[in-house]
Parts: sequence; structure tokens; C-alpha cells
Amino acid sequence: MSLGAPLAAPSESGASGAVRVAFPVVGMTCAACVSRVQRQLAGMPGVRDAAVNLATNKATVELERGAVTPQALVAAIRAAGYDVGTESVSIAVEDLRFLPDVEPLEAALAVVPGVLAAAANRAADTVRVTYVPGLVPVARLEHAVTAAGFVVAAPVVEADPVERERLLREREVRRLAARAAVAGAVALVAMVASMPLMAGATTGSADLLTRLLMPFHHALGRALPWLYALAPQTLKIVVFVLTLPVVFWAGAHFYVAAWRAFRHRSADMNTLIGVGTGAAMLYSTVATFAPGVFTRAGLPADVYFEAVSTIVALILVGRLLEARAKGRTSAAIGRLVGLRARLARVVRDGVELEVPVNEVLVGDLVSVRPGEKVPVDGIVRSGRSAVDESMVTGESIPVAKTEGSAVTGATINGTGAFAFEATRVGRDTVLAQIVRMVEEAQGSRAPVQRLADRIAGVFVPVVIAVAIFAFILWFDFGPQPAAVFATVSFVTVLIIACPCALGLATPTAIMVGTGRGAERGVLIKGGDALEAASRLDVVILDKTGTVTAGRPDVVDLLAARGPGAPAAASEAERAEILAVAAAVERHSEHPLGAAIVRAATERGLEIPEVAEFEAHRGRGATALLGAHRVAVGSAAFLIELGVDIGPFTDAVDTLAARARTPVLVALDGRPLGLLGLADPIKPSAVGAVRKLLRMGLEVVLVTGDMRKVAIAVAGEVGIDQVESGMLPAGKVQVVKRLQAAGKRVAMVGDGINDAPALAAADVGIAIGTGTDVAIEAAEITLLTGDLRAAVTAIELARATMRTIRQNLFWAFAYNVLGIPIAAGALYPLAGLLLSPVFASAAMAFSSVAVVTNSLRLRRFEPTFST
Amino acid sequence: MDTARLLVTLLGFAAIGWVLWYFLVPPEKRSPQDGGRR
Repeated sequence: MSLGAPLAAPSESGASGAVRVAFPVVGMTCAACVSRVQRQLAGMPGVRDAAVNLATNKATVELERGAVTPQALVAAIRAAGYDVGTESVSIAVEDLRFLPDVEPLEAALAVVPGVLAAAANRAADTVRVTYVPGLVPVARLEHAVTAAGFVVAAPVVEADPVERERLLREREVRRLAARAAVAGAVALVAMVASMPLMAGATTGSADLLTRLLMPFHHALGRALPWLYALAPQTLKIVVFVLTLPVVFWAGAHFYVAAWRAFRHRSADMNTLIGVGTGAAMLYSTVATFAPGVFTRAGLPADVYFEAVSTIVALILVGRLLEARAKGRTSAAIGRLVGLRARLARVVRDGVELEVPVNEVLVGDLVSVRPGEKVPVDGIVRSGRSAVDESMVTGESIPVAKTEGSAVTGATINGTGAFAFEATRVGRDTVLAQIVRMVEEAQGSRAPVQRLADRIAGVFVPVVIAVAIFAFILWFDFGPQPAAVFATVSFVTVLIIACPCALGLATPTAIMVGTGRGAERGVLIKGGDALEAASRLDVVILDKTGTVTAGRPDVVDLLAARGPGAPAAASEAERAEILAVAAAVERHSEHPLGAAIVRAATERGLEIPEVAEFEAHRGRGATALLGAHRVAVGSAAFLIELGVDIGPFTDAVDTLAARARTPVLVALDGRPLGLLGLADPIKPSAVGAVRKLLRMGLEVVLVTGDMRKVAIAVAGEVGIDQVESGMLPAGKVQVVKRLQAAGKRVAMVGDGINDAPALAAADVGIAIGTGTDVAIEAAEITLLTGDLRAAVTAIELARATMRTIRQNLFWAFAYNVLGIPIAAGALYPLAGLLLSPVFASAAMAFSSVAVVTNSLRLRRFEPTFST
Repeated sequence: MDTARLLVTLLGFAAIGWVLWYFLVPPEKRSPQDGGRR
């Protein structure tokens, strides 16, 4: 592998000729950072698209295959003033300790694209590799070791991405906590030590903080008289020394990042904090060591060291809370991944072995004992049981599994035992696909964020301009000492402005919303799907499989009453008619026949054997049951056979009018009974439709079926707009027609025939056991077959968008109100000037408030708990 | 003091202009090398 070889097969492939990679970015704090990284990446040749998410701290880049090297990506991120998140792995290498020179091994690893460092440890027989997760798969590291002529002693297991993120976040939280603690302690001591200096504070009457602190000042004077006895100059120097570690260690990141950004002609959150506290620090330092500069100009040589450490401490505490809360926004993914089984019982060469679940291979026979988790996806080969699939489908009733049934990984076996053949393992299992879908959705951006992004791009320079303008106004027109007022308002404006709230408003809500959806069996593909689903006007429901069960069933059964009209069959008559009909239909291939046989077996009836079976295509069938001639079929067919169906004529017409398919059963030329077959309506559909209508949505039923059937079904569930006789193209036409009328349309369907309409609709919702094609075409996938989950999806989308709008409103309002107040707008009215310390508390609070508001979505409860 | 005011005002507005120019110049006006460095 050569240095800087282009990316060949990273995590996923997108459009043809394009590859998609996702990797962690560290150091982003606000929307401005996001747009900067995004611009930097998007500006690289060979990059088709770049999306950066502040909530996940991840960049997702779509590249032309082979056009961009990982090094170039890393360099681009660093050029933007940030860094990529790294991961370390120890690879055990055989006999490393006997090697005279480990450099070839280190060199072989160092040239793998995406590897940042490799260091061999002879004592431990390992080589530690630092790499960028997402840019280089661990397998390639192993391959590099082997290719260099070494032997990998033990397979390297790649860290679980969720676990990895948790560790990264924990590290970040620990780092912030240590710095916040130091800055906080210094701030407290500096505050106390500065109290005596405030005695002659010149802004005392205006600064809210100073006003609040005055009572403490007097109490402190009584408690610590020695402090007040110290010379002011000594105090200033002591506080200056205390502040140094805050500036050069705890808050160093702000200045470094601000400088890096500045060099690349960009400004972000760190610029504001850096310039704000930097100005205060500089002013105070000059006032301490060269007070003459100020006094000669007739200005007081006040110091603001305590403000610097308090601001840094408060902002660090804010970031700490934010990092913790951001961790919780992705908790849903962790829970999904946690559903996986850890071990599997695999039968190899007739021996049952317990192996880690990621070592199960396709084709392995896996045995599952009562109460155990099904480790991977597969098909049952022996045994029977009922399996609780609620974690995947949301449906709580266990599903019966016998030979030939499909089982899904992570579902829980009931009381039976079975063995199944693994058909999908690792990344291909249903659960892994769900996790991937949710992850992708969480990394996506909603169109509503665009405005916030545009504003964030110019936010910081504009705020700096406003701060300078405030400085000029105070200096020129403010009361004496004008320079002090001017400096305070300059610093306060910079500190209070908070682009981070703008940056977090959308992604945190999307993460929590999509995560909550996944827990409820609703998979939403991304921010745009959420936004579209929240603004729907019309919901089109496909009839078959969505509103109805999707297969015919015996729904009516009438028995003969001599020459009188037939009546609902008694239990005994029901059994007789079904058994006779099933005896004939067992040999038929007609789907209606299958429904009759199923109805008989479900009732546990014994189906007698028949002879001389004869099928009459599309009309019916006849056979000999012992000595009796049996005929099953349409009314026309039985009349043709000479059966007098007189008493049944009205019943047949009534059934047909109710969209049932009437099937008559005759024994020896006499009618025995009448079956009404229909595709039964799902019990949940009525409630779901009623709720959709109550939510102010139009509901339309589309079907390929005849008008009569469609109207009957629509009537039963309460829909009054029906489009029948629709081919797939016709369904698309219905969607397009509604869209042309200015309506935003959702299509709910399950089949391949619905896929075009799902794709054409503003929001395609693939229901239940839907086919892969339908899921591919849809924006939202419901894991259950229950139509009420579609209601949940729309409710969730509305709740998420509501949260996003609240967040954005708050973030805008906060800045729009906060900045003028910080600039001193309230001073002429109320004589009030905000202290920079207050500004920093408000700033920290504003972004924590946004994340906390998003976290409320975790408690979202749908109307229907499917 | 009036000289100081005049000076602060002039320098201040110059600084505002410079900040807006420095940070908000469209990317295409930058040197072509800058964006796609390898």
C-alpha cells in the first residue's frame, strides 16, 4: 500500500462511483464551526457532498471513488482549525520481542491511509496504532501487518462504534470537568481576593454584579480584615498570578482555537470568548503592571481578573453540561445496539459450541434454548417455539415459529427450543440495518436548519463589529470613566453572543426524535423526512396489506335452512361446511381455496379425503367425498351443475354488495352453505384512520381492486375518498395530482407495486413486513404491520419539528435580546449594565437550554402504543 | 479628550470595516491554492 492511497472501500457506498465515509471531528463548538468544516470539506476536489453534525461531532463526506486520500481529509479538517477524532488499537504480533528492528513494522502501518501513528512495544509483543475510525477499517491494519511479513497473534476486534463514541465523550467530559473545576476554584478565590479592590469600584452603581456583591463585600470586610489590610497592588498581583493557569491551561483551548480560526479567516464561538476574555485580561494586566498608562489619561486602573476566570469557568461548566446532554441524545442507538445477543450456540461438526455472536457464519446451524436471545437472522430448521419480536416490530404478541419460519436476531425466544440456519450475520442483520438507518438519520440535517446555518456563517464577525460599535458609543458618549464602561460593554457583548445554541437547535432534536422513533418501531430516514412528515396535508393509504391484512379470509358463513333463506351457521354447521369445502379445496391452487383450507385448519377440523377432484378454472371445483358428490364454487358454476340455489340467491347478492366473494358449497346437488371471503380489515385500521382525520389530514384509499370492494373497505374504516382499479403507475398519478393541487402527500404502502408511489410522495411510509424495495423507496419505515404506527410517525415528526422551532426561536430571541442588553441598551432607561460574568452564565445557559429542550422528546408518547 | 474620542471613533470604525472584510470576503476572492490543499 502506497502512501496516501485513495480511499477504496470505506464504510459505505452511496451513488455509483461514490463512497461515503464518516469520521469524528473534535473541537467544534458552534454552528459557525460546522459551516466552516463543511465548507472546507466541500471545497476539496473529489468531494461531492459534505455534511457535518454538531450533535454527533461527525463529518459525513461523499467522495468520488479513489479521488481523495484520508490524509487529505485529515489535512482539510486541520486546516479548518479542528482535528479528527482518533482511536487506538493494540495489535498482538508474534515474536516481536526477538526482532532486532521494529521500524519496518511501524513504517508498514504508518503508510496505511488513515493511520496517524504506530508504535511497537517489544516487551508486550504488541504494536499500538492510532488511526481515524471510519477512514480505515481495522482489518486493513491487520492486513498491513501481515503484508509486512509479520504474524498477527490474535484477531483484532474493532471497537464497537457506539462504545467508541461513549469513550470519546467520556474523555471529553473528564477533560472539561478538570478544567472547569480548576477555573471555578480560581474564580472563587479571585472573587474573594478582589473584593477589597471593589471598595472604590468605579462602575459600582451600574454593574449588576457589583451591586449584588456589595453586601458580601461588607460582610467580608468584617470576616477577613487582614485581606482588606493588604496593599491593593499586592492583591492585584496575587489575583493576576492565580488567573494565569486559567488562561494558559483551563481556557487555553479557546485562545488556540480562536487563533487557528483567525488564521483561516474565520471566526467562531472561540473567537468571541477568546477576544472577550483576552481584552479583559490585557486591560487588567496593563492596569496592574503599568497603571500609569491609565492614570495619566485620567482613567482608573481597575482589574477584571476575577471576571476572566469566572467567565472561563462558567463557559466550561456550560460545555460540560452540554457534552453530557449530547451524550444522552444518542442513547437510543446505544439501547438498540444493546439488544444484540453476545453469544451464540453454534453446532459445528455435530458439536455445540458457544461463540461470540460476531463469529457466527452464514450457513451455521444455531441452536436457541428457551428464554434465550436469537443471535442472528435465519430460518428455522427444526423445533418450534413462540418468539417475542417486540424489540424489532414493536408488536408484543409472540410469533409462532416452526420449520421454515424466519427468525430475527435480538428477538427473545419463548418456552420452546429450536435450531435455525443463519442467513444474515454481522452488518447484514435486520438489527444492524436498523441501527445504521437510525445513525444515518441522526447525522442528517433538516432543511429548517439552513437559515440558522446562513446566520451562523456571518454571526461572529457581525457580533465583533457590534461590540466595537458599542465600545465607540460608550467611549464617545458614555459617562465617566468612559473607557471602563466601553471596555465592559465590549467584553460583555462578545461573551453573551451564543452561536452554539443556533448550531445545536436542529441536530439535537433530530437525534432524540429519530431515536425515540426507533424505540417505537418507526424508522425515519433523516431530517428532511421528519420535516416533510410534520407538514402533511394528505395521507394516501394503499388498501391491500396496509388497511387490510393482505390475504383473503373466510369472514361470513351461512348455512341452508331448507326452502327458507339461509342463516348464520351454528358451530356444528360451520365445522361441517368448512370441512367439506376444505376437503375439495385442498387440491385446488386458487388463493380463495387456500383461505378456506386455512380457516378449517385454524379451527382444528379434520379434513376428509376426496376422490375424483376436478378443478374448473376461475369458477369452482368438484370431487367425490365417499359416496357424495361435492361442488364448491361461484353461484353461476353451481347453477351450471344443476344445483338449485334458490334460497341462497339473495344472500349471494348481499355478500357481493358488501365486497365479499361468495362461495357456495353443495352436497349431492343440494346447497349446504355459503362462504363469504374477503381480505379482512386490520382491527387497528379503523382507529388509525379516525386519528389521522382528527389530526386534520385528508385520507385517501387507493387500490388495484374493483371499485365495489374499495368502497366497501373505505366505508368500514371511515374513508370517503377512494381511488380504485389503480395500477402502480396510476397510484403515482394520484400522488402527482394531489401534489399539483398544492398538497403535501404521504403514501403508506407495503408492496413492490407501491414503491413508485412511495418514491413519488413527499413522504413514503413503508409499512410492516414490507418488502425491501418498498423500504428502499420510503422515507419512513414502520417495523410493524400496524397502521397506527403511521400515526405515531406523523405525531413524532410534528413533535420533533415543534421542538426544533422552539429551539431556533429561543436561540434567535436570546441573541437578539441579549446582545443589545449587553451593549448597554438598558443603561439609559434603567441605569443597568450587564456584567461580563452574567453574560457568560447566560451564554452557557442558552445552549444547555436548547439541548435540554430537545431531550424532552425522549418522553414523547404516541396516541397509540403499538 | 476630544482627540482621544476622534481617534477611538476612527480606529473603531476602521476595525469594524476590517473585521467584516477579513472574515466575510467570499471564498472565490481568496487565492485558489487555499481551498484544495493536499
